[in-house]
Amino acid sequence: MRILVAVDQNPYSAHTVGEVAKLAANTWANVSLLGVQSKRVPKNEGSDAKTRSWKTDGPLPNVLSAYRDNFLSYFKEEDCPYTEREFGYKMIELRKGLWEELYVCKSAKKNFRALIRIGNPVKEILAEAKEEETDLIVLGCDTSQGCSWENNMAVPQKVANDAACSVLVAKKEKKVERIVCCLDHDRVSQQSLEMINQLVTLHSAKLTIVGFAESEGIKTRVEKKLDNVLRYYHERDIEPWIEIAELSSLDTFIAQEAQWGLMALWMGKMSILEKALPKSKVKKLIKGSESSVLILR
Amino acid sequence: MIKALVSLNMDLASSIALRYSCRLAEIIGMKLHTMHVEEVDKEGYSPGTGWVRSTWEKGLLQTSQEEILQLINTEKSSCPSLDAPIIRIGEREEELLHEIDDGSYDLFIEGVLHSFNAVNFYKKIQSKLYRYASCPIIIVKNLVDLNSIALLLGDDTDVRPLITSILKIFTKSELTVDLIHYTFQKFKGSVFREKVDDSKTPGRENGDKVLGKAEMMLSEMGCYPKDSWVIQDSPKKIADFLGGYGLVAAYIPSHSGMKNRLIELLSQVPSATLLCRR
Repeated sequence: MRILVAVDQNPYSAHTVGEVAKLAANTWANVSLLGVQSKRVPKNEGSDAKTRSWKTDGPLPNVLSAYRDNFLSYFKEEDCPYTEREFGYKMIELRKGLWEELYVCKSAKKNFRALIRIGNPVKEILAEAKEEETDLIVLGCDTSQGCSWENNMAVPQKVANDAACSVLVAKKEKKVERIVCCLDHDRVSQQSLEMINQLVTLHSAKLTIVGFAESEGIKTRVEKKLDNVLRYYHERDIEPWIEIAELSSLDTFIAQEAQWGLMALWMGKMSILEKALPKSKVKKLIKGSESSVLILR
Repeated sequence: MIKALVSLNMDLASSIALRYSCRLAEIIGMKLHTMHVEEVDKEGYSPGTGWVRSTWEKGLLQTSQEEILQLINTEKSSCPSLDAPIIRIGEREEELLHEIDDGSYDLFIEGVLHSFNAVNFYKKIQSKLYRYASCPIIIVKNLVDLNSIALLLGDDTDVRPLITSILKIFTKSELTVDLIHYTFQKFKGSVFREKVDDSKTPGRENGDKVLGKAEMMLSEMGCYPKDSWVIQDSPKKIADFLGGYGLVAAYIPSHSGMKNRLIELLSQVPSATLLCRR
């Protein structure tokens, strides 16, 4: 799994890095920390041309460096899959029956990178995710600023809506007690189920799986899929609750159930939620809710 | 030994109910009987008379039996005491009521998926089966850990019917029992949730009285509740709190109207719910 953590200089990004480190410890994912230096001049810094130029010892590189140290501090040195290089002697079989002790350099088991891109944060995050074929983008924000980043940009909302992969908008205001998971049972991927499994374990949270009913009731095939999902989690010692919601009351349902700390929405191509939840509603949910939001694709 | 009837269909709700019943049977030493009623539309009920009808019914029974056996066999490894199901053709509620009466069951169990829309739950509560069943009913909404039971008490009149039913079913089990006195928050009124032993918020005197009476009835039979709570909040908030219990039990008189807020509360409880109606 490849995780891209988009960060800025606010405290919520530090929290996000910690959350990803815990997730990475369980999944041994390839992780990239990405900071984006905006070309736009922040309003409070005036129009001095010097503030526009990016410096390697500027605040963003320093913050990124601190995040890297913080991320790696979650791993014991000997268990860390991201340890860059390790030199040492190792017996290597040169040919059948002939071994030689050679001085070798082992590379890290998994990649961990810290990057800075210059430009529009949304575009750069999406470009990096596309280039690196990222599976999950993680970014933080807090509701006190309407989930906006620098220059009042709605970066998390736009990334969540426009990314081709899954996106987790992590907030620290609310402890994750329960993960409410709205899945499209026809198309949900094994990888998404596994990601939910990881998050449940990570937060020691409970899980609710939501099935969508049309006006005439829940369909048999949806029930079968729900049963399969239920058994999948039972085999992993997780006992999810099942809840049925009608598509007509989707807005109310999401507004009410977002109280539990993490709302996961399956919004893959042609999914029920992609049709039923326009981008404006996803933006509103991310902006207004104190809970984290996971968009699964 | 407690004798329970579990209603089964080929659906997810029944599968969950069966698994929950097996867990419960193990804890309280209960004998499970399963039953499926094959409902046929009135138009299609009688394709003929005599031999034609009899053959048609036999075929229908056999198909239903095979399907339900498949459901039971899936659970057989964790619930070996399950016998062959009772299969009937007819009107579901009528057939189940007959069986409950004829078989003198102590408990009726069925699965109903937990729904954000409470309409189905209201319909269940108002149904003939739920109004006339001679024994308590457990509605299983989710497969939850049977660690503890919450007894919901609204006023003095709830105590005797609820405690009597509970003692009959759970007297030999070692499940933890909590007593909960609930009142609903009036418009913008105060909310509280506290244990009886903690500081007393004004207005909870009636709760203390009701809980005291229930506690006394239980202790006379050697059953001692772990905690006693007094809660005043909205139905949704109380229901969220009750989600932590493996079973939530309440007394709803058979004549209760649709406007009963306890029904609104119970419709939102995600755990299994025991309804005592007599």
